[in-house]
This record gives sequence, structure tokens and C-alpha cells, in this order.
Amino acid sequence: MNADDIFWLSFKDLTEKKIRTALTVVMVVIGVASIIALVSQTAGISSAIQSSLNSLGPTSVLVTTTKSTGFTAADVAELSSIPNVSSVTPIVEGSGTLLSNGQNTSVTLIGIAPQDLDLLLGNNASLYQGSMYQDTIAPTVVAGHSVAFPSSLAGHQNLFIGQSAVLAVGGLSTDVVTVPIVGIMQSYGSLILPVDTSLLMSSSAADELLHRSSYNLILMKAKNTSTVGYVANTTTAIYGSSVRVITTQQIMQTANQIIGSISSLLIVIAGISLLVAAVGIMNIMLIAVYERTHEIGILKSLGFKSRHILMIFMVQALIIGFIGGIVGIFLGAGASYGLAYGISHASSSSTSGGAAHGGAAVQGSDRGAAGAAVSGSGSSGSSLSYSPVFSPSTVVSAVVVAMIVSLIAGVYPAWRASKLQPIEALREL
Amino acid sequence: MPKDNYSVRVTNVGKTYRSEGIEVRALQDVSFTFKKGDFAAIVGPSGSGKSTLMNILGTIDKPSHGEVYIDGIATSHMDEAQLADFRNKKLGFVFQAFNLINGLDAQKNVELPLIVGPASHQERREKADRLLTQLGLGHRLHQKPTQLSGGEQQRVAIARALVNEPALILADEPTGNLDTKSGDEVVKLLRSICDDNGVTVVMVTHNLDITRKCDKIIHIRDGRMLKEEVLK
Repeated sequence: MNADDIFWLSFKDLTEKKIRTALTVVMVVIGVASIIALVSQTAGISSAIQSSLNSLGPTSVLVTTTKSTGFTAADVAELSSIPNVSSVTPIVEGSGTLLSNGQNTSVTLIGIAPQDLDLLLGNNASLYQGSMYQDTIAPTVVAGHSVAFPSSLAGHQNLFIGQSAVLAVGGLSTDVVTVPIVGIMQSYGSLILPVDTSLLMSSSAADELLHRSSYNLILMKAKNTSTVGYVANTTTAIYGSSVRVITTQQIMQTANQIIGSISSLLIVIAGISLLVAAVGIMNIMLIAVYERTHEIGILKSLGFKSRHILMIFMVQALIIGFIGGIVGIFLGAGASYGLAYGISHASSSSTSGGAAHGGAAVQGSDRGAAGAAVSGSGSSGSSLSYSPVFSPSTVVSAVVVAMIVSLIAGVYPAWRASKLQPIEALREL
Repeated sequence: MPKDNYSVRVTNVGKTYRSEGIEVRALQDVSFTFKKGDFAAIVGPSGSGKSTLMNILGTIDKPSHGEVYIDGIATSHMDEAQLADFRNKKLGFVFQAFNLINGLDAQKNVELPLIVGPASHQERREKADRLLTQLGLGHRLHQKPTQLSGGEQQRVAIARALVNEPALILADEPTGNLDTKSGDEVVKLLRSICDDNGVTVVMVTHNLDITRKCDKIIHIRDGRMLKEEVLK
């Protein structure tokens, strides 16, 4: 018996019960689609975090203070003297509320010298409109893209170049100040740095607005990735427990760990749906064997051997798994983009939700304090925008797993079918 | 063992079933022979054991005692795979209920026994076409069984039984589900196969018109052979 004979004999049975076959395939489709959709989400989020961290640079070391007193120019000088340090950038970071056209928007204030902005944001940050702020104590402000185009206004512009924005800072004893908007950033989309929901200005202007006289965050760059550890350790040795030191490498590691465990959890959930599909396949095939008892008897009386019958039923299971796998890939891909859009949309329309999404990966570890200080402070959140990532290995293994699962589900029914005695089978009428 | 000139030789065959702890003797000490090219019948009331005997001849049931030689080959000690091969090459079945595969057209049904053999797709198709055309179904090759009349279905079944050029065709009430006219045609067909191709045909039947055409009739009652009638 040739392979193609086994194939069409198997296929005949499946096409005779079209609706039932389709429903069985749907079970596999759901299993495969959920694996594809969920794995591509975590891969997408992971790569979004990765690219955010890449713009911060793999050699970055972030230092935050744990005391109420911040860093001074003397600290900057001391840190600059550590060997293997290529740059030390002092940053002032705080929060405020933008009062504009009746909209109250939480924003992060980031004070950094304009020439140092690339050290923080990498090379992929650029102006959308207007010009860069001045390195002066008198505030000139560049607004993040979401601040100027809040999602609550469905993309309509809320802040304009040349406008004086009204800003409330300082918590309960609120100070209300006006700051001139000179520029608007391109959408940045980082999960780590809340640039899109920030107002950028010089560090002295931020100090002035926040009534501070020091920096609360220092961004250091090591000369290369192999000296990052040395720079971080030396900084810790100098300041002891009065500072927290974190490197992007550590953030990356922590993020990857968390994403790794989330992704295993999601795979288990998706696996359960495949398991349910397997039980369904077995159930349907046992019914099919029961229904075809007579037909199996006829085939055996004509000289078909047990292994022929076994193969016919196994191939049926394989066909179901294969079709389910292929359809599942496409459905899963569609669902992935839907999910990514849904999650991105939900996180940008609700700022607190965004903070939970965006900050969680970094805040999950207490070593991530510096990252959290950048991303999570204030009630403003970074928008979680990412695209699902499909790796060929995920797609191929989803189909292979679907076929293996179907095959395993088909073993018992096929074995039952093959063991039918022709005389018993022929009696069934 | 001397070279066997019989198509079928049944020696002291017995069959005992165990059903809910009770032994049922379906057959006891049955012995007979059919020559090559015999047109033979096994007759008896229902429950007499004639169906059991047919199943044993067809190697889909095994005797508890005795031996069945078909074309000189002892069948009772073959394993399942050997029996499948044996059925495929030596035996053709014709059933009362036709037992065609409903999902397959006439041509594919006839091809079925060839599928487990070495024949190529083209050989299979040509052989099935030729046989069906010979049996007057050349215009029905691609009809499904449900689209065929009873007589046509039985002719497809006969074509399927013949396709591997068997030594023995076993027909269990081949006219039982047919009207008189179709039944007569089927019997005529089986008789001509017997005469023209030298194939032995063994039928189980109640139909006296059929038994009148037979060369040899085995009468079975209560699991025993009552008598053997040789008409030729």
C-alpha cells in the first residue's frame, strides 16, 4: 500500500464528515493560535524592552540617591574621576500636572542638559516640531509627543509651539507656574523612559521649578560593556547604601527573567488548550472508529492488514493536526496583532494602566529602583507600544507540536480500529 | 501430504463458542470437499451453523478443531497478517448486504483489494474498469453505491471479489436483498464466472432456484452435516 493510498483513504473519511472534521480542526486551531498569539506577545514585549534599553545603551549605569539630599556638582566630579567612566550626566527628575484647555495631565519633568539628551535617549529621539530647549535657568520646555497629542483627544493637538503651558508642581502645596513650550518630541515609544509623557528642560530649570538645588539621578556611561561592572562596583564602594546603582545590563537581565517566567506561564495556558484539543480528537476518533467498525471489517475481509488500518487512522489524526496547525498560525498571527493593538491602546488611554505595564518589568526587582525612578515615578506612565514578534522556530514548533499532540491523541483510537476482528466488524450493521 | 486437487477440503471441522459461560457447539465434525470450478451451495435453516462454516471458509473465523484447506493450503494456523494476505490473493467475498464502501465510487470499490498489493495506480484502474465494463457497469464507474440499484451494487461487489483473480468466491445469500430479476442475473453471472474462469463459487442460500443450478450442495443442520448432494 502506497503512502498516497493511505492518504486518500484517510482523507475520504474526513471529508465524509465535514462538519465534524471542521470542528475537530477548530480545536487544534484554537490551541495553536493561542500558543502563537501568546508567545509572540511576550517576544514582542521583550524586544520592545530590549530596544528601549538599547537606546539607553548597554554601558549605562544609573545612580539614584536613597537620601533626601541629592547629588551635587562635587558628586558629578567625583564620579567622573572613576577610571573607565566616559561620561557622567546629572539629571533632575520630578513630576507635575499640566493644566491645559481643561485637561489635567500628569507629566514627568526631566531636567537634563540639552547636549546630554542623546546620552539618555540614544540617537532615535528627535524633534517633531519647534526647537530644542535652552540650557538656562529660565525654563524653556520641549513636550513629549503624548503630552502634546494626548490619546484622550484622539490625536488632536493640545499643546502648541509658543504656547505657555500651565504647570502645577510640588504636591499638596501646589505651585502653579507657566512654562513656554518651544518644541514637541517625536513619539519615542520607550517602555523604560517615559519620554512621551514628559516635559524636557534644562536641569537648572527643573531644579528651579521643583524648588531643588541638586540632582536626584545620575547617568554614567562606562567606556565599554566589560567595564560596566567595575564602574557600578566602584560607585557603590564610594557611596555605600546612600545610593542605588543599577546597570542596563541588570535591568535587561531582570526583565528577561520576568518575561521568561511570564512566557512559560502563557505557554502552559496555551498548552492546556492543546491538551483539550487532544482529548477532543481522541473522543471524535473513537466515535469514528465505532461508526466505521463495519467498514473496517469489509477492508479486513478484502485483505487489509491491521497496520494498514492503523496507518489510515493515524494519518487522519495527522491531517487534523496539520490543517489545524496551519490555520492556527494565521489565526494566531491575526490574534497577535489584535492583542498587541488592544494592549497598546489600553495602556496609552489609561495612564495608570500604562504605568503598571511599563513599570512592572523594571520595578519587579528591588535592584530595579533606578529604572523605576526613571520610568514609574509620578502617576504618568509610559505607553506600552510594541509589535508581536514571530520567530520561525515558534511557528514551526507550534505546527509540529499540534501534529504530535494529534498523533498521540490518535494512537489509541487507531489501535482500537486496527485490532477489530473482521468477523466482529462485519457483524455490525 | 498428497498434492490436493480440491479447491476446498474441510476435514473434521468443529467450532465451539463460549457465550456467558455456556459452551455452544456451532459446528461438529464437518467434512466435505469442493473441486476446482465447482458451483456449490451450503444450505440449512437459520442457526444451523452454515454462516459459521462460511466464516471459517473465508478465514475470518477459526475452527476449534479440524482443518480447512483452500487450494491445498491449510489455513487454521496462519497468523493474522498471513490470513489477510491469503484472503487478498485467494478469496473473493460477496455479501447479502453488498458491503461496498459508501464513500467510494464503483471503480474505487473494485480497486480496494488491489490497493494492498503491488499493482500500480494505472493497472488498478484499468483492471477495475475492464471488470466493471464486462459486468455491464461501464457507464457506472464513478457512481457511489447509494446511487446504484441493488443489482448494480451486487455486480460491483462481484467485480471486487474477482479483481484479484481468486481461487474461491464465497457468497453469503448473494440474492437475499435483490428482487427476482436482479437475483437471477447475479446467479447467472456467478455461474458464468465459475464456468468461464474455473473459479470455485460457494454460496449460502435459501433460494431453490439457485440450488437447482449447483454442482454440489452441503446440507447443514444443528451444526452437523446432514447430507452431501452431488448434482453434476
